[in-house]
Amino acid sequence: MYRTVVNRILLTKNTGGGRRCLLRFPDLRTAVSSSRFSTTTEPQTFPNRPLNPADSSTSSSSTSFQTSSAAGDIPRQERKNPRAEYQGEQARVLQASLRHVLRLGWSEEAMIAGAKEVGISPSIVGSFPRKEAALVEFFMDDCLQRLIDRIDSGEELQDLIPSQCIYKLVRFRLEMQAPYISKWPQALSIQAHPLNVSTSFKQRAMLVDEIWHAAGDEASDLDWYVKRTVLGGIYSTTEIYMLTDSSPEFRDTWLFLDNRVKDAFDLKKTIQEATYLAEAVGAGMGSSLQGFVGKVIQR
Amino acid sequence: MVGKVFSNVASNYDLMNDFMSGGLHRLWKDRLVSKLSPFPGMKHLDVAGGTGDVAFRILESVNSIKRRALQDPLNDDLQEETRIYVCDINPNMLDVGKNRALEKGLGEDKSLVWVQGDAEALSFEDNSMDGYTIAFGIRNVTHIEKVLSEAYRVLKRGGRFLCLELSHVDIPVFKELYDFYSFSVIPRLGEIVAGDRESYQYLVESIRRFPPQEKFASMIADAGFQKVEYENLVGGVVAIHSGLKI
Repeated sequence: MYRTVVNRILLTKNTGGGRRCLLRFPDLRTAVSSSRFSTTTEPQTFPNRPLNPADSSTSSSSTSFQTSSAAGDIPRQERKNPRAEYQGEQARVLQASLRHVLRLGWSEEAMIAGAKEVGISPSIVGSFPRKEAALVEFFMDDCLQRLIDRIDSGEELQDLIPSQCIYKLVRFRLEMQAPYISKWPQALSIQAHPLNVSTSFKQRAMLVDEIWHAAGDEASDLDWYVKRTVLGGIYSTTEIYMLTDSSPEFRDTWLFLDNRVKDAFDLKKTIQEATYLAEAVGAGMGSSLQGFVGKVIQR
Repeated sequence: MVGKVFSNVASNYDLMNDFMSGGLHRLWKDRLVSKLSPFPGMKHLDVAGGTGDVAFRILESVNSIKRRALQDPLNDDLQEETRIYVCDINPNMLDVGKNRALEKGLGEDKSLVWVQGDAEALSFEDNSMDGYTIAFGIRNVTHIEKVLSEAYRVLKRGGRFLCLELSHVDIPVFKELYDFYSFSVIPRLGEIVAGDRESYQYLVESIRRFPPQEKFASMIADAGFQKVEYENLVGGVVAIHSGLKI
C-alpha cells in the first residue's frame, strides 16, 4: 500500500532518472512528533524568510503572518531552500553520528561527537525532538532506502519463489544491522519507548510492505494484513535471535530465519489441512449422530 | 524607567518571582534548560540573567553529564572549557547573582563569567556561542529586533536561541482569571512584599504590550533563525520560543 502511494507521488514528481528514492517523509514525522506534545500546545513551525530590512513595515500590519508573506515577492523556490537547509544539516549530523555509535551507543554523546565531526555546534542536538530516537529512526530509514535500492537493482529476485525471496531480503536487511549488533539492544529499547513506538511501528510496517511487494504480492483483502503480520513476526524474532547469536557470520541466525520462513509457508498449508479435517470430522460425526438419533426416535 | 525598576526590585526579585508565580518559575526555567540540552565544553550566553537562575541550572546540568560514566576521555578536558556568560545591563542584578554563586559554592568556578552589557549591543564576537538564552528579559528591551539580530550574530552555526517569556493567554475563562490576577493581585503583592507598587504595575503592563506568540515567532524567523517553534506553558501564561542558526 505504501509502495503504491510512493510510486504515485514519484511518478508525478520525477521526470527522469532511474534511481528511485524513498521520500523521507520528514514533514510526516514532524507532524507525528508534534501531535504527541501532550502537556503543551503544538509547537508551530515558521518558514524562514530571507533577511530583508525593508520588511519591517509588514511587521506593523495587523494581518496574519501567512498573508503578509504571501503578499511579498519572494519566489516559492527561494523560500523553500533555506527551510530545507536545516533539515539537510541535521541529516549530515546524524550520518556522522552513526560512526560514533559503536563507541558511544545510540545516545546524545554520539550525536554530539557527530556534530563536532561535521563542524556544527553540538547545540543542534537539542533541536532534535526526541534526540536518540531521531538517530535510530534515521538509521532505520537509511537501511530501508538501501533495501529498496537492492530490490530495484536485483533482477534475479523475480525468478525466486516467494519464500526464498523473503529469506534473501530479510537476511540482506538484517545484515545491515550486523555492524551495530553490540549496541542494537539499546536501539530496540529506544524504539519501544512509548513516545517512539508509533514512528518505529510505521517504519517497520513500511519495511515489511516493501519486502512483500518485492516477493510479488498483489493481495489487497484481509490476506494483506495477515501476510504483513506474519512477516513482521518472522523479522522481529530473527532480529532478537541475532542479538544473542555468536556463531561466525551469524550462521545460526540465517538457519533460524530459514526455518521460520518455511514454517510460515507451511502454516498456510497446515491451516487448509486443518479445515479439511474439521469438515471431514463434522461430516462423519453428523452422519453417525443422525443414525443414533434416528434409532432413538424409531424406538 | 527599566533601569530604575530593576535597581528597585533586584534585592527582592527572587522572592517576588516565587510569590507571583506560586513557585512555578522554577519549573519553567527547568524546562528551558532541558530544552537547551547543555553539553560539556559549551559556550553559553545568558542575557538579562542577572540573578543567575538559568546559568546555575545549566552549570548543574553540564556537571551532572560529566558524572555519568563516559567512555570518552576527551570530555574530561572539555569540562574545563565550559563557559557560561551571564550578561545583564543592571549591575545590581549581577551583584545579587554573584552573591548567590558564592552561597552555592561556585564563587571560584571559572565556568561562570559575569558581564555587564546591553542586549542590543553585545560585546561578544561573531559565531562564538553555542547557546543563547534570555529568560523574562526580552519584554524589557527597547528594540526587540536588535536583540534578536545580536543573538543571531553571536551564535555559531548549529547554535540555538531560546527565549522564556510571559506571553498571551487565549483560553476563554482562564484569560479572565489571569487578567484579574495580573491587574489586581500582583501590584498589591508588590506593594506588600517589595514596597513598590509602580514597578509591578509596569511589569504587568509590559507583559500585555509584548507581541503575542505567533508574532514574536515571526520576528525570530525574520532575524534569520530557522526551525522557529514555540511551546506554551500554563495555557500561554509563559511561552518558550526556540530557533536554530544554520
